[in-house]
Amino acid sequence: MKLQLLVSTGILLVALLPYHECRALGKSPPAAAGAPLPPDFLQPPPSLPVLLRMGEEYFLRLGNLNKSPAASFFASSSSRLPPGAPATNFFRAAVQQLQQLPERSLESAAGPGEGEAESLPREAMEREKRSEEPPISLDLTFHLLREVLEMARAEQLAQQAHSNRKLMEIIGK
Amino acid sequence: MASAFRLQCHCILIFLAALKGETRYLEARGAGEDEPFLLLSADLKRELSGRQLYHRALRCIDMLSVEGQFTFTAEQPQLHCAAFFIGDPEELITIDYDFVHIDCQGGDFLKVFDGWILKGEKFPSSLDHPLPTSERYIDFCESGNIRRSIRSSQNVAMIFFRIHEPGNGFTFTIKKNANLFPCNVISQTPTGTFTMVIPHQHRNCSFSIIYPVVIKISDLILGHLNSLHFKVSCLFVS
Repeated sequence: MKLQLLVSTGILLVALLPYHECRALGKSPPAAAGAPLPPDFLQPPPSLPVLLRMGEEYFLRLGNLNKSPAASFFASSSSRLPPGAPATNFFRAAVQQLQQLPERSLESAAGPGEGEAESLPREAMEREKRSEEPPISLDLTFHLLREVLEMARAEQLAQQAHSNRKLMEIIGK
Repeated sequence: MASAFRLQCHCILIFLAALKGETRYLEARGAGEDEPFLLLSADLKRELSGRQLYHRALRCIDMLSVEGQFTFTAEQPQLHCAAFFIGDPEELITIDYDFVHIDCQGGDFLKVFDGWILKGEKFPSSLDHPLPTSERYIDFCESGNIRRSIRSSQNVAMIFFRIHEPGNGFTFTIKKNANLFPCNVISQTPTGTFTMVIPHQHRNCSFSIIYPVVIKISDLILGHLNSLHFKVSCLFVS
């Protein structure tokens, strides 16, 4: 009876003690210790024809939709990527298009308040500027978003395949 | 006597596991997802757990759906950059800053947003998220020394960053944690099934898909009011 009571108490203590979640297995990234991943694994997936036809521009919006155009970035017309642009240069080309736009700093969007805040300490002034700034968002189309999501999923599948390959190698030892 | 004692022990363990919500966690894991690994010995599991963390360079506009360490180094002034994070519906995103070298005084910024925001439209919306919009932005320049680990409230998050000086950059690690009762979800795929369970909470929840799809709601239980149990089965075809 005493033994049963002790065993029951032990089980309750073990069950109630906090534990750390063990995630030895799962979708963790692969690679053996010290061995670099093969270059093809790190490269983005092969280009898709639809990527070459994409020309939507995207912008880092510093204002909300109701703000005047002076506080946000817009392009007058959409541009097209060069027909021969490979998928690996997709992001580089898209970013280059962004950087061709006139630069508008956060300070210019909060310009009218600078005169009144000159007496405040610099750190408090910067904090006040940031709190007055409209939320930052990205003017990315859903089409582009789906494309980058597909690339991310392809990367995830490639990583899972690499992990499975490593697992089979370990099991085969 | 021994069999009765064993039965008591089993009942105690099952009861405790149910109280901790472990059954929901087991249901959340896909069938056959990790089952083969359960057959491995402890030695093999330890060998697999010692694998190196996945690491690659981060792009100015990027989408991450895997765990790992990502480094961004500006080769030229990068003024309009953002990276999206997305996990499975039953996962939360954790961002740990490993190394940050930016010039906050010079106009650089590095901000984490709890959710996704596109063209001013937020997900989850302000009505569904527990935090106000201003608190969903975590600015490294303001709180970098305090908060170096940031966890999202749903399966998506994103960062905005601007770096003027070439050579500056940052490194962070993405981890995923289990979310037993996801409330706001963005689906990674245009196909599949999902069951949303909201246990005894008065809150708005949402499930979003950014693909053109047909959604069929197979079962819907709305809880009870004054001991009356409401159950509605709907079928939507678009």
